[in-house]
Amino acid sequence: MRGLPPASRAARHAREPTVITVSGSQGVSRSGGVLFGLALAVFAGQLVGRPHEAAGQSYRAWLSSSIHMVEVRPVGVDSVARAEVTADGEGGFVFGAYPVSCDVDVCSGLLPLSKERIFAATQDASVTYWGLGVQGLSVTALVRLRADFGGDFTWPRYDDEFDAMLGYAQLVRGALRVRAGRQEIRSGLGFSAFDGASGSFDRGRFGVHLYGGRSLARGLREPTNEAVRALDDFFVDKGVYLMGGAVTVREFGVSLTGRYHREILSDRSGLESERASVDFSTTLPRVRVRGSLDYDFAFQRPGKGELTLSAPLDDGTWLVEVSGRRYVPYFQLSTIWGFFEPVSYSEARARVGWSGSPRLGLWLAGGVRTYGDTETPVVLRPLEDTGWRADAGARWEPADGWSLDASYELEWGSGAFLSSGDVTTRYQATPRLGAGVSLATFQQIEEFRLGQGRAVSLGGTLDFAVADGMELFGGFSITRHRDGGTVFTSPWNQSRAWTSFRWSVGEDPGLANRGGRR
Amino acid sequence: MKRSMLVVAAFAGLAIGTVLRPEPSVRAEQEDPFPHARHQGLFPLCTGCHEGIPTGDRGDWFPEPEACSGCHDGVERATVTWNGPSERVDNLAFEHAEHEQSRAQAGDPPGQCASCHIEPGGGRMEVAADIQVETCWGCHAHETDQHFNVDASCETCHVPLASTRFGTDRIERLPTPPSHEVDGFVLEAHGALAPGRTAMCATCHTRRRCVSCHVDTNVAEIAQIPTAPATMELPAMAATYPEPASHVDDGWLEGHQREASVGACATCHTSNDCRTCHVSAVPDIVAGLPSRESVVAPGVMLESRSPDSHSSLFFMQAHPVLASADQATCQTCHLERFCVECHEADVGGGYHPPNFMTRHSGDAYGRDSECANCHEPRVFCRQCHADLGLSGLRRAAAGYHDGTPIWLLQHGQAARQNLESCSSCHRQVDCTRCHSVLGAFKVSPHSPGFDAERAWAQSPRTCLACHVGDPTNGNVP
Repeated sequence: MRGLPPASRAARHAREPTVITVSGSQGVSRSGGVLFGLALAVFAGQLVGRPHEAAGQSYRAWLSSSIHMVEVRPVGVDSVARAEVTADGEGGFVFGAYPVSCDVDVCSGLLPLSKERIFAATQDASVTYWGLGVQGLSVTALVRLRADFGGDFTWPRYDDEFDAMLGYAQLVRGALRVRAGRQEIRSGLGFSAFDGASGSFDRGRFGVHLYGGRSLARGLREPTNEAVRALDDFFVDKGVYLMGGAVTVREFGVSLTGRYHREILSDRSGLESERASVDFSTTLPRVRVRGSLDYDFAFQRPGKGELTLSAPLDDGTWLVEVSGRRYVPYFQLSTIWGFFEPVSYSEARARVGWSGSPRLGLWLAGGVRTYGDTETPVVLRPLEDTGWRADAGARWEPADGWSLDASYELEWGSGAFLSSGDVTTRYQATPRLGAGVSLATFQQIEEFRLGQGRAVSLGGTLDFAVADGMELFGGFSITRHRDGGTVFTSPWNQSRAWTSFRWSVGEDPGLANRGGRR
Repeated sequence: MKRSMLVVAAFAGLAIGTVLRPEPSVRAEQEDPFPHARHQGLFPLCTGCHEGIPTGDRGDWFPEPEACSGCHDGVERATVTWNGPSERVDNLAFEHAEHEQSRAQAGDPPGQCASCHIEPGGGRMEVAADIQVETCWGCHAHETDQHFNVDASCETCHVPLASTRFGTDRIERLPTPPSHEVDGFVLEAHGALAPGRTAMCATCHTRRRCVSCHVDTNVAEIAQIPTAPATMELPAMAATYPEPASHVDDGWLEGHQREASVGACATCHTSNDCRTCHVSAVPDIVAGLPSRESVVAPGVMLESRSPDSHSSLFFMQAHPVLASADQATCQTCHLERFCVECHEADVGGGYHPPNFMTRHSGDAYGRDSECANCHEPRVFCRQCHADLGLSGLRRAAAGYHDGTPIWLLQHGQAARQNLESCSSCHRQVDCTRCHSVLGAFKVSPHSPGFDAERAWAQSPRTCLACHVGDPTNGNVP
């Protein structure tokens, strides 16, 4: 009887237009594409013509191909016959565990829909090439191709088939570095991608960095107005120019960088953002100190900030960190969100780690945060204005090649609760072959929408070094939702699987020990 | 008597010839040592058999083997199989003829064979295997009492190894001076001794020995050591690179650039060592170092390792601030794509663990990190939430925010506390339905202290999303 009025994905998508991002052919990737093409051509030429020389310092490159599958069960506004619902005892109605609103014959509510599945693929290619005949000249390109192999919905970003993530030429002469093309600034003000030019001069105790160009949306590689044009009824349909600079000073054991960053609309009719930040780190006799603070000139308020003291104790066996932290979301002026004046929260955190044995490490962390006064009317009772989080973990290596990781995480704030535990064991059978199995269980209440029930997740990973520089990865996870709640609950059953193949030449040494994080 | 002296002299000369020989250091060596002592009654003079030694006439250095048959004829004496001296290689720089000539010019009496070839107190024909070095010192005022002392002038008596015809075995049997066996000789002492003493080094070493470790082959002292001829076989020389004390100090890796210079580093390091870590803009010093391919020495062949800071238990939490405080330090070892690969990795790795998505709401809610740094909320978050039915539905009926019974009346507080979460599902028009001068309830979203004039001055277009015209009535600063 379900589905009396048509309520389907089509209806959902009618209200939420599908993302239509601008493809690479529309100028977004021109500079990056050209540079990538150049780099790829030279790279290929080297591979064919001068393999020995090319195998040295003249390039670093990798290709990564991945396919992933996700199966979930969405929710949507659906309807059921009035006869199929029951009273919830509080004046409302429920269909199973799901609350519905009823008129005479029909009840409707957010109800689980059919399972939906998607297959998507990604192809990344990256090259940094030196040896163009000019000392210090290099080109770097990183492109991502996406393919939606079909399915019931679109995975985020997979309707954008091509992104030139990076694409720049760089010239380094001594302490001077000049870069032109698509690049990123990663700083205390977050990540900013742009098409433009940058220059830096870094000599020992002093460094300066200047940059400017066409700003691209955060997390994307296209102008914000083009990226969100189809997604919102309100947006400022103007390009944005970005400019900024940073000064780094290394003196008296302190590294300190001050940065100024400004974005304006292309017609200079308005400001998009104007911020500054200071980040520093230093090592005192017994304590390492790091801190950051940014300021939003547009809204005339401090932004995020952090001050952390880190003290190794007992010859490094223990590590104790205490932090004071402030967080306030940053919104560009072209959205209304910033004018809603989000409040900051201030948090005190502490972490303690013990690694007295090379094979055993433990850590425990906790924090409490308090939100600022929202200056909103209080009806009946205010929402909580504090939040807690705690996490703990352990890593044990009972034998060579065998590791066991366990962790627990608690997030408890206004209207939201997460309690989650993980156990993962990993075995490196041979230098080339490794496998892992993980088991997780979690409970998410209120806004996190798992209800009073729990979800249990089983996963596995496999990694195999096919040959030097060639690695094959794969994994899966299956999550099953146990015991629903009495309020609306998203059906959490879902399955995920992925596989990827990576081929690299001249690996960036820093990549070797890369570790993921939550 | 005269005859016997002649025989002694002859055989003494024979013995001398086995030890002292003019450059290029060829001296005679019998297959079996000639039994001088047993013949002392026959040969009164050394020059009887070694007539050419004092004169420098090589053809008369030794008697012909056939001369033995004069006595050892198989009748009166048994025949012998002595075949004359075989060629023997040494590294002495002594030339009998020149020596005699210089002595004569100095007014010194002619040298006596026995003074060098017979041990003190030895019989006339008791020719020693080795020469009596002390005899040399008697005139040459050797400044040391030990043959291998570091202040010895080896070149007085020895030719450089590169000028000898020593083979691998003979080179390996060269004695090791005591100075070479002290701790730290390779690391520091030999470099301090070499200036001004390269001739001494060259006695036992060819340049190959130096360049088998030294990357900086243009060092003056190395250039002064003769190169071995191409035909000369040399022992295998393993490069040795003891680690200087400074290199094991805490923080050496992080601060090594302060002491780095081509002169200091090139002794042991090729540019390849540096490029093991330095991946992008290599410093001038690195560019100034020879590459491994251009030198004989392998260099230390460093393997990259993470700085100490990276092994901290909480490094992942610390690295954003550390990187922001001094990005150039990160860029020493990491290409920019390193950040991109992790922060914007696709499935199977990177910033988030594989099972992150099922429980991302906790991290997103607490804002341990700023999600919007990598995920444009309108594009990334809301697209997925919409696909899963979690987008703003513009309905006040039963829905997502059922946990709080009077959610609509309380959502303002929640929104100001966690506006990023709102924007991950709701479009801006979901808010302006009420929070707009044209909206249903015209509820102001601004706090009492909101600076409208400043907002209008900075971004008037955004104000017009909710207001009709200038909300400040022209009161713009």
